[in-house]
Amino acid sequence: MNPLVVDKVVKQYGDKTAVNGISLEVGQGEIYGLLGANGAGKTTTMRMVLGLIYPDGGSIHYNGKPYSKEQLRNMGYLPEERGLYPKVKIKDQIIYLAQLRGMDRKTADRNLKIWLEKFNVPEYYDKKVEELSKGNQQKIQFIAAVIHEPQILILDEAFSGLDPVNVELLKTTVKELRDAGKTILFSTHRMEHVEELCRNITILHRSNPVLQGSIKEIKKQFPKERVMVGIDGTLTGLDKLPGVKQVIQHENGFEVKIENAGAAQGILAHAMSQGEVTRFEVMEPTLNEIFIRSVGEKIE
Amino acid sequence: MSNFKNVVAFTLSNKVRAKSFVITTLIIAIILSVVVNLPYIISQFSSDEPDKLGFIESNVPQVSAELKDYFDTQENSGIKLVSYPDAGSPDANEKALKDAMEAGEIKGYLDYVQPEGAAFPNVVIKSEDLLDSMSGAVSTGLQQIKMEMVLQDAQLTDAQREMLFAPVDVSTVQISTTGGAGSVGDGKTPEERGLAMGLVYALIIVLFMGVMISGQLIASEITAEKSSRVMEVLVTSVSPLTQMFGKIIGMLLVGLIQIGVYVVVFLINLGLPHNSEMLSEMNIDLSAIDPMLLVYAAIFYFAGYFLYATLFAAVGSIVSRTEDLGQAVMPITFLSLAGFYIAIFGMTTPNATFIEVSSFIPFFSPFIMFLRIGLSDPALWEVLLSIGILFGSIFLFGWLSARIYRTGVLMYGKRPSFKELRKAMKAYKL
Repeated sequence: MNPLVVDKVVKQYGDKTAVNGISLEVGQGEIYGLLGANGAGKTTTMRMVLGLIYPDGGSIHYNGKPYSKEQLRNMGYLPEERGLYPKVKIKDQIIYLAQLRGMDRKTADRNLKIWLEKFNVPEYYDKKVEELSKGNQQKIQFIAAVIHEPQILILDEAFSGLDPVNVELLKTTVKELRDAGKTILFSTHRMEHVEELCRNITILHRSNPVLQGSIKEIKKQFPKERVMVGIDGTLTGLDKLPGVKQVIQHENGFEVKIENAGAAQGILAHAMSQGEVTRFEVMEPTLNEIFIRSVGEKIE
Repeated sequence: MSNFKNVVAFTLSNKVRAKSFVITTLIIAIILSVVVNLPYIISQFSSDEPDKLGFIESNVPQVSAELKDYFDTQENSGIKLVSYPDAGSPDANEKALKDAMEAGEIKGYLDYVQPEGAAFPNVVIKSEDLLDSMSGAVSTGLQQIKMEMVLQDAQLTDAQREMLFAPVDVSTVQISTTGGAGSVGDGKTPEERGLAMGLVYALIIVLFMGVMISGQLIASEITAEKSSRVMEVLVTSVSPLTQMFGKIIGMLLVGLIQIGVYVVVFLINLGLPHNSEMLSEMNIDLSAIDPMLLVYAAIFYFAGYFLYATLFAAVGSIVSRTEDLGQAVMPITFLSLAGFYIAIFGMTTPNATFIEVSSFIPFFSPFIMFLRIGLSDPALWEVLLSIGILFGSIFLFGWLSARIYRTGVLMYGKRPSFKELRKAMKAYKL
């Protein structure tokens, strides 16, 4: 039984449908990606999972049980809009939030110290949030979501507004949580994060799930239409080859857009006849391309 | 339940430990101490010297000399007459007296005017201040002199004379015919009435301030939680109802602590030897306060607080930015202001129909029914009905506020209209 099962959930605001029949299952030790443009229904879906608003149709089950107040203690939430009490000391508010989710004061205090140590900021224990930089506030916000050791984690745009070093730090942490068996629902605009972290994804577009499944499967559905070629010397006449749509010259090689994967072999042969090939790769479509395709095509 | 306690404790500790709270409480405590001691401080600076009034010796001497004697023999009249020699002309006299006033010798002077054909002169008291209290004393004195003059020829015995001049004793006692729930009961002397009035006045102000300050704080804290988006985390941790009532109770405790500090400061100051002396001089006995009145004060304080606090919480929850809050709470502020001013107006006329009607309107009743209990004598059923209506409205508005709160905390952007709010409530299945 998967810890989080969302089944054909529908939500309407007045006559506007915010989420139209989304289904997903997140297993233990899995990060599930929820993708979509702004206003696609990601936040509404997350809010329903959190029990903030009730779905108009469908059901959500947590470890096989329907929503109840007890589930709240089992969940951690990192909202897209960050928020903490600006004028309250970090130890006070984090421990308060942990207590609200049923953790006792002593354990919360111990966990907070461990987390601050982990993020290399033990000195923030006694500071106020308004004294911290934005990136460091994010760390504290993240701690607020995980301090009570929840089983299900809901991370809305977890890495937005962070510098690369801190993104790496948080990414590592999220992976560790995954490996520790947490169930994580994750939303972002940044496709490279999804590719790195998620096993399964759902792409939402205008309230509808348009693409769903494991990233591998999804990528297989999309043809390989890109070849990268690196070569010593020059390479001419590529655009005359059959099946070649476009040739883009980069600093260290060529990017060739092709009609189908079969055209790749012709390109390799052509390149080898002109010089020493240093790099040749038939590229999988990136998630970014898939996203733009599945969302963009619908817009047209 | 433990979450409720957590919210209360968090609200309480954050407020009470805040520098602003400590400083405000301290400042008000100091001001209170000064005010309580003010009569004593003033009495230290003001002398017991009677006010001096001048007059021209030669002007209507038979009356002016008598009046001077009258005030000289009178004890504690607070007035002493000083004679000045005739300077020749009325203008010169006037000038001499004015000079004396300027020099600080006298506070004012008496001008006797003898109209044609009248047996007794008219008197004008001239002064830079309006000496209304003096005119009473002067008039009493002159009346006596006039009577003496007339009675000189009517041969009365000393006993008759004494009886004639002995003052008549009139005093007032407030009584009630219904024997209701008010504090009037078996009758009240002016001193007791004054005490009740002072107490009612003080408690109405405390209630008003308590409601306004705590209410505003509740609203602004909730809006701040919303605008700092910490609300997003809170609503996923604890139910909005727990959150709202936890906050209201926390703030109630903050207010009570503050009031407690003030009461202690007040009592300590009153207990200082010079103040208790003054109190007994003024015939004020604090133990004469009807304990039932304090019980009613507590009931109406709590009821009024909850009624207004839930509304403030609801308003706070629908506003997203602190800047918009002032405007949004305006209607509630006006309601409490109206209640407060009707009560102040009703201090002198606690039995007016308008006051009686207002004492049943929930938003006014905490102020006004309490005023009636303190200063008049409403029937017990009236009091119970008023409290019943009040409690009923607390539940009604508490329920409504809770619904608004539950919806409002999740709505961002511009302040929603009632229609949008209703729609949202429906959408959230509330």
